[in-house]
Amino acid sequence: MSPVSEALSSTSTTDKAAKALLPLDDFTWNSWSAMETQWRVERLLSRYVACIDEDDLENWPEFFTLDTCRYEIITRENVERGMPLALMFCTSRGMLVDRIVSLREANIYPQRWYRHIISNVLIQSVDAECLQVQSNYVVLQTRRNGQTDIFSAGKYLDRIVLSKGELKFSEKRVVVDTHRVDTLLVAPI
Amino acid sequence: MSKYQAGTYTGEAPKVWPAKVNQIPKEIFGDAALFEEELKKIFYGDTWHVVGHTAEVPNIGDFKTFDLGRVPLLIARGKDNQVRVFFNSCTHRGNQLETSVSGNRKEFECPYHRWLFSLDGALAACPGSKEFAPDFKQENFGLVELKTDQYLGLILVTMGKNTPPLKEWLGDIVPLTLSALLGGDGRLKLLGYQKVRYVSNWKGYNDNDGYHGGLLHTAFRMLNFQGGSGSQPMSVNGHWVIEAELKPAQNSGFLNDPSLIDFKVADPKRGSLVVQLYPMTVMVKHMDVINLRFAIARSHDVTEVHYAYFAHEDDSEELVQHRIRQSSNLLGPCGMVSMEDAAVFQRIHIGNHTPGVAEFQKGVVSLSELSLDMKQSDETGNLPRWEHYRKVMGFKREGEQ
Repeated sequence: MSPVSEALSSTSTTDKAAKALLPLDDFTWNSWSAMETQWRVERLLSRYVACIDEDDLENWPEFFTLDTCRYEIITRENVERGMPLALMFCTSRGMLVDRIVSLREANIYPQRWYRHIISNVLIQSVDAECLQVQSNYVVLQTRRNGQTDIFSAGKYLDRIVLSKGELKFSEKRVVVDTHRVDTLLVAPI
Repeated sequence: MSKYQAGTYTGEAPKVWPAKVNQIPKEIFGDAALFEEELKKIFYGDTWHVVGHTAEVPNIGDFKTFDLGRVPLLIARGKDNQVRVFFNSCTHRGNQLETSVSGNRKEFECPYHRWLFSLDGALAACPGSKEFAPDFKQENFGLVELKTDQYLGLILVTMGKNTPPLKEWLGDIVPLTLSALLGGDGRLKLLGYQKVRYVSNWKGYNDNDGYHGGLLHTAFRMLNFQGGSGSQPMSVNGHWVIEAELKPAQNSGFLNDPSLIDFKVADPKRGSLVVQLYPMTVMVKHMDVINLRFAIARSHDVTEVHYAYFAHEDDSEELVQHRIRQSSNLLGPCGMVSMEDAAVFQRIHIGNHTPGVAEFQKGVVSLSELSLDMKQSDETGNLPRWEHYRKVMGFKREGEQ
């Protein structure tokens, strides 16, 4: 296998987890019951999308682990064809911050509001270090003229860890069904 | 003094263009009837159109579908390793043959009456043919191929009868930059797509995607990308070539993680290469990003663009990873340094639904003749393409016989 092919065929850990949809109804994680873990994960996701929807983007990088993290928005079309190109691809906390600085200070784009709706939050696997969690999302976009459209639909594939008592994303992979972007994509999903 | 005279606005393209070479009538961006003329004279006319690169269909049986105006195309790699471009239409009753955007097939089957086409387009089977019309001959019903040619894997088609040979149409200057942009030999590896729909006329997209003065892109300035020198050698047939030096940003303090903008193999002296082929294909090599933009004019106010990103077949794994990261973050409709383009396409389209002319200024030295001496940040590079468009469409200038 050539280095190029190898690089193209490598998949992230969340992909592998997504394939094993285990019936994971009962477990204990960090002394939390399955129900409590589920509740905490849903709280994390709700706080995450509120941060984006309320345009509190300066705090968005705080949802990720500090040392190593990975944030990716990639189209389902590219994923299903085994192609790695993403719409956004950050491999460090610094890159997350750079995205926000860029959209605040450099980029020009029409003002619009995002509204995230999350559902089907499913803890797929549990081990000592992390939770693998899949959920569905829809982002509604409202333009300045008041018109609301579905901007993006897809799923989150999250690797969640406990860091100093707080749940953080060590990896967040946004797999976008809506692979034809409407004009541009500025803010994270 | 106002350029606008009350009572002259119809929203329709004028029959006669202004005498000044730097003025473009704004009505040509919003006129639905003009788009129908453009389909006939340009998209189905005597010019070449870029529809893909062979690296998008690397294996035997790989295909992709695409559109030229409203004409559906099927691009497929045959068992003989040849890439062919067919009309995506069954030769029986005209049913759309392949509905997927891409994939791999052993053959193409029309579900309507089960006509079966091999990868080279031949009609391999058609059930019940004994009862077909008396003049039916199976060998006459292969898929219809468009006239096709390639340049370093770049696939071009034409539906015109009098289209010049590709080499002549490209001219002498385009290949000097295009070959470098395509990695020297065209042996590319597809990394993936970013696809986008712009609410913009295809000419508005085209007028602004290739190159414009750096004033729009704050990030370029913040990254100190504008310091280099460059050239805009002119070409024939409305093509446009730009080469610019990009000075690597050192400690600009803007990025927390400056590894994103490393140059791994790109030569900063030729850090930015842009080739714009008439009528609407923009290709870019920016730092280590190789990006071909396959565009479709959907209507007078919708343009769809498939930004395809590539590595080179000989790249190391480290370089591929670098290209993926750079390609996924810098250019295109989600890119940190140039997403303004997308916003501008739409604003230009809205703003052009007003009377008067769009007027080019920077670098214009004569109002009656096109300047061929352009500096890096002149906006006059668009004008030869406009002049080519005007002639193809048959618009006369004021005072022209």
